[in-house]
Amino acid sequence: MDDTPNAQALFLFLASTAHDMKNSISVLSGTLEHLLAEASPPAAAAGPQRAQMTQMAHMLYQTRRLNDNLMQLLALYKQVGKPEYPFDIQPLDMGQLVEQVAALARVLLASRGIRLELDYDPQLIWHLDEDLVVGVLSHAINNAIHYTCDTVRLAIRETDGWLELRVEDNGPGYPPALLKAGEIATRGTVGGVNFLTNSTGLGLYFSSEVAKMHRHRGRHGSLRLENGGFQGGGCFVLRLP
Amino acid sequence: MSGAAPPSAPEPVDWAAKNYLVIDDFVGVRQLLRESLRSLGARNIDQASSGGEAMGLLARIRYDVVLCDYNLGEGKNGQQVLEEARVRNLVNPSTVWLMVSAEKSVESVMGAAEHQPDAYLIKPITEGVLLTRLNRVWHRKQVFRSIDQACAEKDYLRAARLCDERIETSRVHELDLLRMKARLMEQSGQPARAREVYERVLEQREYQWARAGLAKIRLANGEFEQARQALQGVIAENRYYIDAYDQLAVAYQNLGKLEEACAVLERAARLSPNSVPRQRNLGNIALRVGKLALAEKAFRKCLAIGEYSVNRTPDAYLGLARVCGRKNDPKEALQLLALAQREFGQDHPGIGLRARITEGLVWHESGDYRRARKTGDDLEAMLNASPERPDVPTCLELATLLFSVGVKEAPVALLCYVIRNNHDNPLLLEEVQKIFDKARMQEEGSALIRASRKEAADLMNQGVLLWKTGKLGDAVAWMRNARKAVPDNQRILFNAAQIMVSHLQQHGYDAALSLEAYEILHHVDGLLPGQQRFAQLMEQLAQLNANMPQTVTAQSAA
Repeated sequence: MDDTPNAQALFLFLASTAHDMKNSISVLSGTLEHLLAEASPPAAAAGPQRAQMTQMAHMLYQTRRLNDNLMQLLALYKQVGKPEYPFDIQPLDMGQLVEQVAALARVLLASRGIRLELDYDPQLIWHLDEDLVVGVLSHAINNAIHYTCDTVRLAIRETDGWLELRVEDNGPGYPPALLKAGEIATRGTVGGVNFLTNSTGLGLYFSSEVAKMHRHRGRHGSLRLENGGFQGGGCFVLRLP
Repeated sequence: MSGAAPPSAPEPVDWAAKNYLVIDDFVGVRQLLRESLRSLGARNIDQASSGGEAMGLLARIRYDVVLCDYNLGEGKNGQQVLEEARVRNLVNPSTVWLMVSAEKSVESVMGAAEHQPDAYLIKPITEGVLLTRLNRVWHRKQVFRSIDQACAEKDYLRAARLCDERIETSRVHELDLLRMKARLMEQSGQPARAREVYERVLEQREYQWARAGLAKIRLANGEFEQARQALQGVIAENRYYIDAYDQLAVAYQNLGKLEEACAVLERAARLSPNSVPRQRNLGNIALRVGKLALAEKAFRKCLAIGEYSVNRTPDAYLGLARVCGRKNDPKEALQLLALAQREFGQDHPGIGLRARITEGLVWHESGDYRRARKTGDDLEAMLNASPERPDVPTCLELATLLFSVGVKEAPVALLCYVIRNNHDNPLLLEEVQKIFDKARMQEEGSALIRASRKEAADLMNQGVLLWKTGKLGDAVAWMRNARKAVPDNQRILFNAAQIMVSHLQQHGYDAALSLEAYEILHHVDGLLPGQQRFAQLMEQLAQLNANMPQTVTAQSAA
């Protein structure tokens, strides 16, 4: 481990800069959300206003991406492969998990006229790191919103002692290159510079690390990308023990 | 979006009617949070841009919800604002306190800190997440309300029974309730039952707090090596479980491995530097193993954190003065001691004595034996002037110093006092014998220890004899006197309370006697918390009070 004073000072500097940036991003995305929420729904809006709203929705999408990337970088900075994150599992009912994920996606969904389909048991309790899993799911939903045709589906169920969380869309599905990137990210070996220069790769890698941090009785979580599913598009599948 | 009904909301909470305080040093974030709260319907929202401003508002207004950023720039941080608000009773038990930070903090994982917020939120905060967490904390508080009340009354056994009842009805809080119950069992001196609870948790899931709980019980049991292994296992599983480091340091200390204890605390302080007790422990251990630079750094950090903390203590000043003495800088040491007395004189009545002891040690360690002797003589005079005695560690330190500067009668009397008040504590007897040995008083010392032990035992036995032979009134009077002679003897204090409880049970309720018993029990709990007899007697007293509703009313009206 690199614990030299310089490395520590650099990290502290980066961290405090990142924190400052996070404040700005919070304000940006919060303001955009309010503006979008106050504006009338896109179907009722006239031409130029509608175009403006679409642009604003895109700004919100990009701001969210900026925030997610920053969060992931901060967590991964010190040592890739061993995220420096105070991992903390708690029991949580799926009702509260979905409530938060759905609320995070609400404005973006509405502004683009996309439907979120939910399929879960609100009473089901699972043990997980809430902040991480909410982050990973809403990141996946943000992506799905970008690529889907008109529907995103979040389905959560328990199968054979695992919790399976699926984010599916009815878009064209993941391109082969991304399916491959997903495989590499999931395998755990960092696929060299190629993979890390791609921010989608970073997101996948981060999500897969989050999955692996969840361990129980010798098993650990995993992430899988596939095409098809209930909606026939891309499927982002998180499995937690 | 699907038309699913809002999940997991037993009864909706009216968030519009509540009073809110938003604390953040960044104006943009404050405005954003205010907007989010307004969209929940909130109307009464105050804002503060610093810890100081927040304290001013908290002192005047009772808030239902506080959203507080952890990093507040210069001055108090969010945790210090929370601690001060709780210590000064500026928030109600029902107040929801949410701590906000830019990234997940190490502190949010450790479970044992005394003043925890109700939840930690990570930026950016969005309305949905805020509402979910607010509702969750609110419902959790409803589940825990009567348990917290029983805890506040120190009726730990009733609180534990309430935990069992709640587990039946609220499954999502099961682990929280089990954790609470385990802690209550520890506080009432029943480690075996606490162990059962932790094992029940571990059957479900590998929770590190339960592992650490088991290790803590081993530690209390004297199984230091097993505790060490278990705690290292916890840290290997989650290196952010800071509580385990502090416990591991205790295990190493008991194994006589001070260097290792020091290294563990140093790691913990690097991960979570803003804890006054941790930095103080690190400073003290570093001083003992002779790592002066490390000790100095820890004590100085202690002073820096303490500057804005309601829980600041003079310990770091005294520790730093010792460091200065060892570095042959008695001048700075004396300045620190003067400062400590000026700053803490009011709230810490014993500080004058402790500062003088430290001064003597500083002179002695820096080789100025003449001044050391002079300080010793002054201390002897101070002891003769007042019958009050400091806590045990201070007494032992004082006796050691007095012997080493050549004073004899005062330290002998002091050590006999310590023995009389702790006549059944074998570890302490050993320690006192060692001090006598070092003063070349081996034989004489062991005779003095024997005599002092007998004196205390006779006092106690006579009281118990009166009680057993049914002379309850005489027994109460006898124990009252015994308590004056040996004010800190826990066996005698427990027996005194026990006899008073018997008196109340057999001769009817008496508010003054009940109050006296409570007073005694709280004093013992202050000397050594977590004893089984404390929990049992508190429960019996509470039941006696509950059976006497009219007296309770009279008491609470007084």
